[in-house]
Amino acid sequence: MDIFTAAMWIGTIVFLLISLKKDKSKTLKALKMAFGMGKGMLGSILSIIFLIGLILTILPPENIAEFVGSQSLLMATVGSAAFGTITLIPAFIAFPLVGSLVDAGVGIVPSVAFLTTLTMVGVVTFPLEKREFGLKFTATRNGLSFLFAIMIAMVMGVIA
Amino acid sequence: MKILEKVKDNTFLIVITVAYILMFLIKPDLGVASMENSVYYIKEMILIMPVIFILTALLDAWIAKEKITKYLGKESKVKGITLSFVLGCISAGPIYAAFPMCVMLHKKGASVRNLVIILSSWAVIKVPMLLNEAKFLGIKFMAIRWVLTVIAIVVFSWIASKIIKDEDIGKKEEKTSGLTLNRESCMGCTLCTKNYPEIFGMQGKKAYIKSFDAEVDKESLSQTILACPVRAIHYNE
Repeated sequence: MDIFTAAMWIGTIVFLLISLKKDKSKTLKALKMAFGMGKGMLGSILSIIFLIGLILTILPPENIAEFVGSQSLLMATVGSAAFGTITLIPAFIAFPLVGSLVDAGVGIVPSVAFLTTLTMVGVVTFPLEKREFGLKFTATRNGLSFLFAIMIAMVMGVIA
Repeated sequence: MKILEKVKDNTFLIVITVAYILMFLIKPDLGVASMENSVYYIKEMILIMPVIFILTALLDAWIAKEKITKYLGKESKVKGITLSFVLGCISAGPIYAAFPMCVMLHKKGASVRNLVIILSSWAVIKVPMLLNEAKFLGIKFMAIRWVLTVIAIVVFSWIASKIIKDEDIGKKEEKTSGLTLNRESCMGCTLCTKNYPEIFGMQGKKAYIKSFDAEVDKESLSQTILACPVRAIHYNE
């Protein structure tokens, strides 16, 4: 557990104890609500998780890196940005991977495009986001994130 | 009928399950590998989601709508933007962990722009992630990417707020006389069906209004409306 997750747990438990002391029935109602929210989202989250597991098996990040490395700069950038949107790789795998991409001479632009879409744009989480916020919000947020990810990558290519 | 509804609500889960079954039949070793790859994410979910749900519900219970509107609403300007970035950066967990929290904040008056900022910064510029990035790609790389990303989020959250109206988030009201239930924002927690089973029922994973007439117990109805975690129920006389 990283320190931020731990801090969140501690903070929430303290909050919960204070809340219990101040108003027991209100707190119990809140807990019931939390349980209800969890139950409502569990199916979708499990689907997402097992889908990611499947994608990581069929398209291992190493193969993606290899493929991207052999393309022209433009293709590599668009391609890596697109790959980034599909998968949701944890940071401790993504950063060393991108580090090796840069070392292998793939170039900064595709690497940054990949990193940014990886976390900000989610094809896998799209259905869940749509359920919670509606289609228009989800499509706009993901679309803009994708465009700006490529722009960030290009600017980085110029300055870094 | 009921089975059909259940299938429709869980299409995604069913498709994934079928994909796994096929994989285990055709290439068992790939199936096992996929399962193993999923384990990390399941651990991550178990570590973070319970605390997110409890925190969201507690904040919902204790923080007044006026406060959220003041600090994260349309009029919050730079203060709201800064607060949204801080919220996103210090929180833990994958992007979907931000969904329930953001839905709650929006119901209490947070603006579209600040929602986009919280979601995006939650996803991409979290502090633990930045440390990892500096380790593998260098501090300079990390710092430039961080600055560019913050600028990008400030700009595209503004564009998003021009495209998306508040009503776009969870619309489709179901009307029965003066009582309305927003099925789009319903999270399927079943609290309303427990509080007032005569009026509310479940259809698939979402609540609906079974029957409604003037002979309602106003007291229990308003209790039920207040209990809804996402404020999906409205009543106008």
